[in-house]
Amino acid sequence: MNDLVETFARNAERAGFVVHRAERPSLPDAGVSRAAYGVAATGSVVLAASPDEPRSRHLLPEVHMSLLREDAIVPDLASLFAVLGGRLPSALAIVTGPSRSADIEQRLVVGVHGPREVHVVLERA
Amino acid sequence: MRVQLFATCLGDLLFPDAVADAEALLRAAGCDVDFPRGQTCCGQPAFNAGHRRAADRLARNFTRAFDPDVPVVCPSGSCASMVAHRMPVRYDVWELSSFLDDLDAEPPARNDGLRLAYHSSCHLLRELGVDEAPRRLLGRTGAELVPLTRPDLCCGFGGTFSVRHAEVSVAMADDKLADGGRADALVTADPGCLMHLQARSSKVGGVRVVHLATALARGAA
Amino acid sequence: MSFPVLDEHRLAATDAATLRLMNGRTSAWARLDDVEELRERAHSIRMQAIDDLEGHLARFVAALEAAGGTAHVCSTAEEARATVTRICTDAAAKLAAKSKSMLSEEIELNGALEAAGIEVVETDLGEYILQLAGEHPVHIIAPAIEKTAADVAVLLSAVEGEPVEPELEALAQAARKQLRRVFERADVGITGANFAVCDTGSICLVTNEGNGGLVTALPRVHVALLGLERLVPTLDDLAVLIQLLAPSGTGQTLTSYTRLLTGPRRPGEDDGPEEMHVVIVDNGRTGLRRGRYKEMLACIRCGACLNVCPVYRKSGGSAYSPVYSGPMGAVLVPLLRGLEREPGLPHASSLCGACTAACPVKIPLHELLLDLRRDLVGEGIASRRERLAFAIWSMLWSRPILYRLSTAIARAGRPFGALAGPGRTWAQGRTLPALARRRFRDSR
Repeated sequence: MNDLVETFARNAERAGFVVHRAERPSLPDAGVSRAAYGVAATGSVVLAASPDEPRSRHLLPEVHMSLLREDAIVPDLASLFAVLGGRLPSALAIVTGPSRSADIEQRLVVGVHGPREVHVVLERA
Repeated sequence: MRVQLFATCLGDLLFPDAVADAEALLRAAGCDVDFPRGQTCCGQPAFNAGHRRAADRLARNFTRAFDPDVPVVCPSGSCASMVAHRMPVRYDVWELSSFLDDLDAEPPARNDGLRLAYHSSCHLLRELGVDEAPRRLLGRTGAELVPLTRPDLCCGFGGTFSVRHAEVSVAMADDKLADGGRADALVTADPGCLMHLQARSSKVGGVRVVHLATALARGAA
Repeated sequence: MSFPVLDEHRLAATDAATLRLMNGRTSAWARLDDVEELRERAHSIRMQAIDDLEGHLARFVAALEAAGGTAHVCSTAEEARATVTRICTDAAAKLAAKSKSMLSEEIELNGALEAAGIEVVETDLGEYILQLAGEHPVHIIAPAIEKTAADVAVLLSAVEGEPVEPELEALAQAARKQLRRVFERADVGITGANFAVCDTGSICLVTNEGNGGLVTALPRVHVALLGLERLVPTLDDLAVLIQLLAPSGTGQTLTSYTRLLTGPRRPGEDDGPEEMHVVIVDNGRTGLRRGRYKEMLACIRCGACLNVCPVYRKSGGSAYSPVYSGPMGAVLVPLLRGLEREPGLPHASSLCGACTAACPVKIPLHELLLDLRRDLVGEGIASRRERLAFAIWSMLWSRPILYRLSTAIARAGRPFGALAGPGRTWAQGRTLPALARRRFRDSR
């Protein structure tokens, strides 16, 4: 369990997230989403569209923050799909870092259409 | 051990010295070398250009010339791959360096102090999976091996490709010659690559290009 | 017919980009637990769907419709264009925002929509740049590979009406601003689909910029273009494929956004399209299912084969046909359009096999090129002169005595140069190899 959280945190940081433990940072302009799951192997947060979670919330603001309960972290994509069990929301976004593009000269730039800065707050179960 | 030497058509017609070097290396490694007189070409030029009936004719001649019960060794990765994968009869076929390396052959120390670059011919590397054997053998001859920055890149020969897409083919050769240019000589295990790279190098005054058999038997200097 | 070499500027750009992408793939593959096992599994998952496209299609359509989506199965590009146009006009659409779709390029969708009075804007940064330039993509995943920041600045400044600095950050911000207006105003969002899952009726969309998310969140109508062959049976199978796609394409573990879309917006949801249409396009794909060619349908459009191809690296994407380039294009385009229309493409390869080694789903690309060359000869598309030359040569050289005789004559006369045409072409950049004075066989 703890291993899973550590693996998630490490991979999420590698993917470009700022990872916060328990403490929720003050980011007044950030869009805030409740993540349905986290994927440890890829460091992804999984956002499921619902009446409380519009599809575009994680894309429109320049800064975005996902709240993720530690007990919602699954090992990998296969286990994510297993827990979903075929019951999919209208839109499921597996988000792995900020919006980015390398379309100009193969040089990386962030915040092309979506957020340039992405945070994930890990919440103790 | 008895082996049948397949000179290949390019070896027979353009690089007889390299084939003689291959034969000498095989004898030095303790082999009895047969040269089947009926051999001509494995048919790869036709096969790769899509002319399967023409390729079949040459394959049939190959099967008449070579005994399937005796190992076949040839100083060409590309032709060895053709014989291994496209013949109606299964042969125990070896490219020269992989065969010598398998015998733990100790070629003479003719390359002391020489800096050599090795160009992996594509079919030897990717179709026969032979990567290190040529370098290991060259290392045993005292050569210092200069790694190529892009060992994965083809030299641009590709049979009829070298004529159909001559400009690209030549540009590919230029990259290979430049990459190998930091060494005293560029060594290759394939008469096709050798012909192409030599032809470009002699036109533009580039690095010496030497067949692996020659580099092993007599040194690349 | 013969491919040119790119000019110095585009050559350097292509070289740098392909090298970076290739190195990205090899490092990403090394990070995977067992890439060979994953490749084998991916190959068998793809072939499973390809061997029963009808069955998988029926399951996907049923699941999609259960989720509230609409399926349109189109057998030709023309039918697909008409279908998308009709969906847009039915929605009284004035503006369509597009996320990257190679299939939309293949069916030449933009022109059809524009002819119907619908403005179409590409929202993938690379595709947007090319749309402004009026050019085709030259690489599957890096469409504007040959453009520099300075080129892009000129294009974006023209839209902005004032100069945009040729700095990466400034360019991205200008594009963000220009395209944000498009997302907000668009009536229809058009996307491709990397995969479609038969069990759930979902389409999977993989992007890095987030444009795929916005065009499927804000416009009233979503149209997804799906190549008929992109069906995967289950979510488990999808997991295998997406674990390979980004590592093979960009060298990432996953792209920033992997999206599974299952039907339109549901009751109570604030955004998402009211209608979701999946336009499933055949356009020659079912015709590929003969012999080994069906392997080509396994392609997941990652671009790995382009990045390792020495011919692509020298000639760039525009030397091939307009949509698909590199080894996968050299195989796919003749199969989709007909060999007689694209007889040159199977020869745009030195058969080095780097493509086959790089393909995450194990398509034997260079072997398929060999099969296409066989068919060029078998179907009489190769020139009569070439067929005659190989026939005569093989008749001579399949008899040792005639081999000896013909090579003796050649040595006596002027050698390879006497072969006229091919010899002359060869000699333009290279010396003609001289036949040895004594053949090897003469020395024994």
